[in-house]
Amino acid sequence: MKLGQAVKMAAKSIFSNVGRSALTMLGIIIGLAAVIILVSYAQGQNAAMKAYYESMGTNTVQVSASTWNSSINVSQALYDYCLGLSDHVVGVTPNGSVWSDTKISYESKTLTGEDWNTRINIYMGNDQYGLCNDFKIARGRELSYLDIEKLNQVCVLGSEAAQQIFAFADPLDKTITINGIPFRVVGIYQSKAQGKNLGTSENNQWILDEIKRKDRMILIPSTMTRYFNQNRPIEEYVVKVKSSDDIATVVTSLNGYLSGLISENNGYFSVGSPETWQAQENEAAALQQRFLGGIAAISLLVGGIGIMNIMLVTVTERTREIGIRKAIGAERKSIIVQFLIEAAMICGIGGLFGIGVGYVGTLIVGKLSFGIILIPSPGVTVGAAAISVALGIIFGMYPAVKASGLQPVVALRAD
Amino acid sequence: MLIEIKDIYKIYNEGKESEVRALDGVSLHIDRGEFVAIIGASGSGKSTLMNILGCLDIPTYGDYILDGTDITDRSDRQLARIRNKEIGFIFQGYNLIPALTAYENVELPLIYQGVPLWKREELVMEALEKVAMADRWKHKPAEMSGGQQQRVAIARAIATHPPIIMADEPTGALDSKTGKHVLEILHTLNEEGTTIILITHDNGIAATARRVVRISDGHIVADGTREEVGL
Ligand SMILES: Nc1ncnc2c1ncn2[C@@H]1O[C@H](COP(=O)(O)OP(=O)(O)O)[C@@H](O)[C@H]1O
Ligand SMILES: [Mg+2]
Repeated sequence: MKLGQAVKMAAKSIFSNVGRSALTMLGIIIGLAAVIILVSYAQGQNAAMKAYYESMGTNTVQVSASTWNSSINVSQALYDYCLGLSDHVVGVTPNGSVWSDTKISYESKTLTGEDWNTRINIYMGNDQYGLCNDFKIARGRELSYLDIEKLNQVCVLGSEAAQQIFAFADPLDKTITINGIPFRVVGIYQSKAQGKNLGTSENNQWILDEIKRKDRMILIPSTMTRYFNQNRPIEEYVVKVKSSDDIATVVTSLNGYLSGLISENNGYFSVGSPETWQAQENEAAALQQRFLGGIAAISLLVGGIGIMNIMLVTVTERTREIGIRKAIGAERKSIIVQFLIEAAMICGIGGLFGIGVGYVGTLIVGKLSFGIILIPSPGVTVGAAAISVALGIIFGMYPAVKASGLQPVVALRAD
Repeated sequence: MLIEIKDIYKIYNEGKESEVRALDGVSLHIDRGEFVAIIGASGSGKSTLMNILGCLDIPTYGDYILDGTDITDRSDRQLARIRNKEIGFIFQGYNLIPALTAYENVELPLIYQGVPLWKREELVMEALEKVAMADRWKHKPAEMSGGQQQRVAIARAIATHPPIIMADEPTGALDSKTGKHVLEILHTLNEEGTTIILITHDNGIAATARRVVRISDGHIVADGTREEVGL
């Protein structure tokens, strides 16, 4: 018997009992939708995490340290130590931020950072701030060494900050005030979001928002700390290393140095890089994903057992038909193929519905948990379809073999 | 010799108290082109005999030689081939598949034989015409009368042009007029060369056969022309 014939027969029997077929499919639909949603969720999470950490800067190490022992100038010591790692390091910048609420004004416009979503952060760094944080100058210039030394009241704007303060006007050489202190704009950074390859998640609003938040910044010389943070020294630095191979070395060196400098009861310190944080989060996420994957696998298994159950009922119900088919010359093989194709088709059709439900579910989950348009990748879709057909074949096998083994005379007696 | 069975036994629950010897040492020869009626009371073993002759069932003991070859120990697959090519079955209960149309039911044995589509079409319609059911090819069994269903079943049996037709009480569920019509079809087929084995408990129907075999309690008790058997 030809395959095409077998498919036709299977379709016939599936559509001759639509209600039953639909019920059978339900298990597969739910199982497959669960798999698609969970896998897509995991992929969305991974993509978001990757983009998020990349926006923090690549090949950077972030270090902060603080002590209550006033005889140690941690800030200076840390800075000097970082500079000393010059074999591995290409740049070091203080990475201070203004803690208090700020009032940014230009002409008649005043922005208070009350709304977190539009808040402009003020950072204090040096001439290597852009290099270390992966900001590139779009127009104008970076802060210079002299700006730091001379306490020049100049600033560099992130693209979002420039947009918010100046709208369509040209910010270069204009003067803004921060908490009443005037700063002249000497440069504007390129947007981090611009030209960022977000891969499959191009309309990934959540990530874009996170990255835009990075663009919502103003950089002022690190020596300005006296006007903003009550002259507290900046105790956080960003170190740009030469290559990713240097990250581990620099992290280890800094940890060693700082643990010698600061003992447990007179301060604290932390050393890390977006890369290592991402690796740690990946590990945690992988564990979570494996757990979710297990649940999805169980739901698929339950769906498969449902298929087997229904196929067994079908075989019993159609014993007489099997007898007739055998009487007129069907070989075991033909009967097996017929029931397998039937099971595979039920699962395949169920799989299509499952993919549909999975798409909708993924969209909803993406909206709720990331606030983005999340779509299952082609790989997941094709894989899900293949799994559903395979399930039909695996769980249809036992009923099919059972059906084919019936003696024709026995099967014909059934009613 | 087309069919030869030797010392066939079919014993259910052998050795137990409930043992039934449905066939108790039956030997029979049937030649090509014969029209044989097998008669006997209900429960005498007629259907059991036909099922074994038709390779639908296997005997407990005994040998079966079909067309010169011993098929006693043939595999499931080879028996399926024999049922498909050599034998056409007609049952008392028609045994059509309810979900399929008349056309599709008749087509089934041809599909299992691997006949290509264009050839199938020709053979199906030819068979349906022979039983005067060609105009009903689209109908499902539930939409046909018993006589019409039985005619479709006959069409299915003859679609592959098998040399042997076995019919187990084909008229049992039909009124006498339709039953006669079905019997006529069988006679026509026999005139065209098909060997017919007809099982019946109706002496009148058996009397139309050239040869009658009477079976009782699993034994053949008479075998000959209807006069010899005493009809
Ligand atoms: N599967 C079975 N198990 C036990 N006894 C059976 C079975 N099938 C048939 N028989 C018995 O075998 C005998 C012959 O049955 P059967 O060939 O159907 O008779 P007939 O067709 O002549 O009416 C009967 O006594 C019947 O009860
Ligand atoms: Mg009977």
